Amino acid sequence: MDIFNNLVFGFGIAFSLQNLLYCLIGVLVGTLIGVLPGIGPMATIAMLMPLTFNVPPVTALIMLAGIFYGAQYGGSTTSILVNLPGETSSVITCIDGYQMARQGRAGPALAIAAIGSFFAGTVCTLLIALFGPPIAELALKFNSPEYFSLMLMGLVAAAVLAQGDMIKSLAMVTVGLLLGIVGTDVDSGAQRFSFGIYELADGIGFVVVAIGVFAIAEIVSNLGDPEERMLSTLKVRNLFPTKEDLKQSIAPIFRGTAIGAFFGVLPGTGPAIASFSSYMVERKVARDPSRFGRGAIEGVAGPESANNADAQCKFIPMLTLGIPASGAMALMLGALMIHGIAPGPTVMTQKPDLFWGLIASMWIGNLMLVVLNLPLISIWVSLLKVPYRLLFPAIMVFSAIGIYSTNNATFDLYLTALFGVFGVVWRKLGCSPVPMMLGFVLGPMLEENLRRAMLISRGDPTVFITRPISLAFNIATVLILIVMAAPAVRKRWNKITG
Amino acid sequence: MERRNRMKTLKVIFLISVSLMIAGAAYAQDYPTKPVRMIVPFAPGGASDVVARILTPGLVKELGQQVLVDNRAGASGNIGVEVAARAPADGYTILLGNIGTMAINPGLFPKFPINPVRDFVAVTEVVDVPTSLAVHSSVPVKTVKEFIEYAKARPGKLNFGTAGPGSNGRFEMELFMRQTGIDLVHVPYKGGAGAAAIGLLAGEVQCGFQTLASIMAHVNSGKVKVLGIAATKRVAALPDVPIMPELGFANMKSGSWQGVYVPAGTPRPIVNKLFSAFIKVLSDPEVIKRLNSNGAEVVTSKSPEEFAVFMKTENEKWWKLVKEVGVVME
Repeated sequence: MDIFNNLVFGFGIAFSLQNLLYCLIGVLVGTLIGVLPGIGPMATIAMLMPLTFNVPPVTALIMLAGIFYGAQYGGSTTSILVNLPGETSSVITCIDGYQMARQGRAGPALAIAAIGSFFAGTVCTLLIALFGPPIAELALKFNSPEYFSLMLMGLVAAAVLAQGDMIKSLAMVTVGLLLGIVGTDVDSGAQRFSFGIYELADGIGFVVVAIGVFAIAEIVSNLGDPEERMLSTLKVRNLFPTKEDLKQSIAPIFRGTAIGAFFGVLPGTGPAIASFSSYMVERKVARDPSRFGRGAIEGVAGPESANNADAQCKFIPMLTLGIPASGAMALMLGALMIHGIAPGPTVMTQKPDLFWGLIASMWIGNLMLVVLNLPLISIWVSLLKVPYRLLFPAIMVFSAIGIYSTNNATFDLYLTALFGVFGVVWRKLGCSPVPMMLGFVLGPMLEENLRRAMLISRGDPTVFITRPISLAFNIATVLILIVMAAPAVRKRWNKITG
Repeated sequence: MERRNRMKTLKVIFLISVSLMIAGAAYAQDYPTKPVRMIVPFAPGGASDVVARILTPGLVKELGQQVLVDNRAGASGNIGVEVAARAPADGYTILLGNIGTMAINPGLFPKFPINPVRDFVAVTEVVDVPTSLAVHSSVPVKTVKEFIEYAKARPGKLNFGTAGPGSNGRFEMELFMRQTGIDLVHVPYKGGAGAAAIGLLAGEVQCGFQTLASIMAHVNSGKVKVLGIAATKRVAALPDVPIMPELGFANMKSGSWQGVYVPAGTPRPIVNKLFSAFIKVLSDPEVIKRLNSNGAEVVTSKSPEEFAVFMKTENEKWWKLVKEVGVVME
């Protein structure tokens, strides 16, 4: 009953007028920056941090946290409506979410994204309250070999599960891996493929690539094909999901939440991996995988739950161990320190008001987001009635503002335009950009962890099979390959013996 | 009515022409008459950015103008440094540089066109973020001396984690290794000081020079031990931990310092005005408290000249070391 008392105590704190107000401000700002492409929660938290100097630490953290998870809700909006990923984590939502919008089902897509996110948020809030500290300890067991094996499994699974032309998918994964090589070599500091351009020293920005190949390419294609253009302004069929939609979404939401929670507690994974993995899993377990990419609601429900679960669970290592699992979490640790609180395992016992107040406020914040987002759907959907000749310049302008404001660099705008061109070419060639994005995200992490694992083991590759967690991932990878290859082998065998 | 307007216009024209005539002296005295931009060559949320954002409210009060933080991250801070160096030398662009951008990078990027000593006027140091020699709890040592002995018995066996091949944590350890004759393996992390701290916490690497801010929580929980701190005086949060100069490492008395710069050629009165504004802001107890709780100690220069001398010494010290280690990031 301890947990119960603690939660009651937490809600008591979160329900104070000031805390509710700051929570509301946080989630509102979060939704807004989530909708805007480029501007991420990290930059926003950094800029708004001085505003929290004069409020109690728990209030400050409630607001900053609200911005962070609020962005996950907002990020899906533009992905679904206009194929423009608002956040890194909502890139995958573009695929089926946007197709749903084109079929006049933007409302259900937006609603299911909000509902899935809310469910994931609720589960993860409970998870933090119940099992926070032991989970965080477990996350520390993940060193470079474990991360490498995990990423390898992800990459293999993605390649195997890729739909359509296998060769094209592999080619696109390779392109993504190659793009991920650009920048400073992690060990030696040498510049790779940066051509003396300082803006390329830190690699190519994820947002730059995503907006180029999704949003810009979409606009160019729409304008190039007058028939297609009409589709985006199709009549809206219904605003809310049907019973059938909900039934189809329940399992993906559960799975997405579990996947997101898993990746959320691991400090070494970025924001895109959880939603990518969820999408891959959904397509694999679907009875009819060919529906994916053509407006399958599971392709929205799963990843959107996963990215919110990921965001919420990033708080576990931060609150219980003082480990920043992402840049935004590092900022929140900074905010705590400015208020004179030393982050770490002692926060829970010495500052219970902060710990439980924040947890309770996260659930309240999630509730606020659903209540905010569901009525907003009709407004968002009506946006689609705007004639495309007015809509597309607006998308371009917002994309440009968002990209520029990430690094204050005009170079990023040129680069986005270049990726827009690539996106159009790939589209014409029938190459899906999704495997490319996956390679682009996983590649650098795969490389970094492989090289670090090798450095630490002094070049001994058995480190990947002597460590139990790493071994488990590698066995799974082999199983995936076998399961994939089995039907083909059996066919061959039958033919030979046949 | 009309005449009064005309009189007004004439007056304005007169004032403008007069002010143009005595521009050099007068505009320095009126400075600042428009918002000032502070370039932070790192991303929002980094250690430099936090310092900038703690300082700006006070600066706004002192200068009577808005101060805008302009994050120009990328290429180890070089992008922001170049933007600042190429800005007009009128005091409306100031740079918050640090040990990396102003002292270590020149050695790492020999082709980079900007030379911090030549192309900037140093205004004042603002903070020093003490770095500490930290070891994982599994390493059975309690003092720096014991650590040296432990490492000497295991040449090439221990790893030290850093925030990258060009980070100051790396060069501090290289310096330490050269002075003590121990041999550790460098393990760089991507993703800044946070990632390297996690590596230390998880025991993937056994030691490293880390800012106190990034490991303080783990020192409290006993997962990480701090053996020595690079600073000029003991740190309030860890009064029992000796500083490196006490242990005979005379050249390890500053950690990751940060300072304010303006482009070379900025008029002297403006430099002075900025200097006194920063000194004033940095004496505000509230500002000191905020910086302290973020792991930064307030360290100001006695004069812009003193900071210029400090910066030159630092440049020479790190240049020599970078050449010795042989890292080139181009």
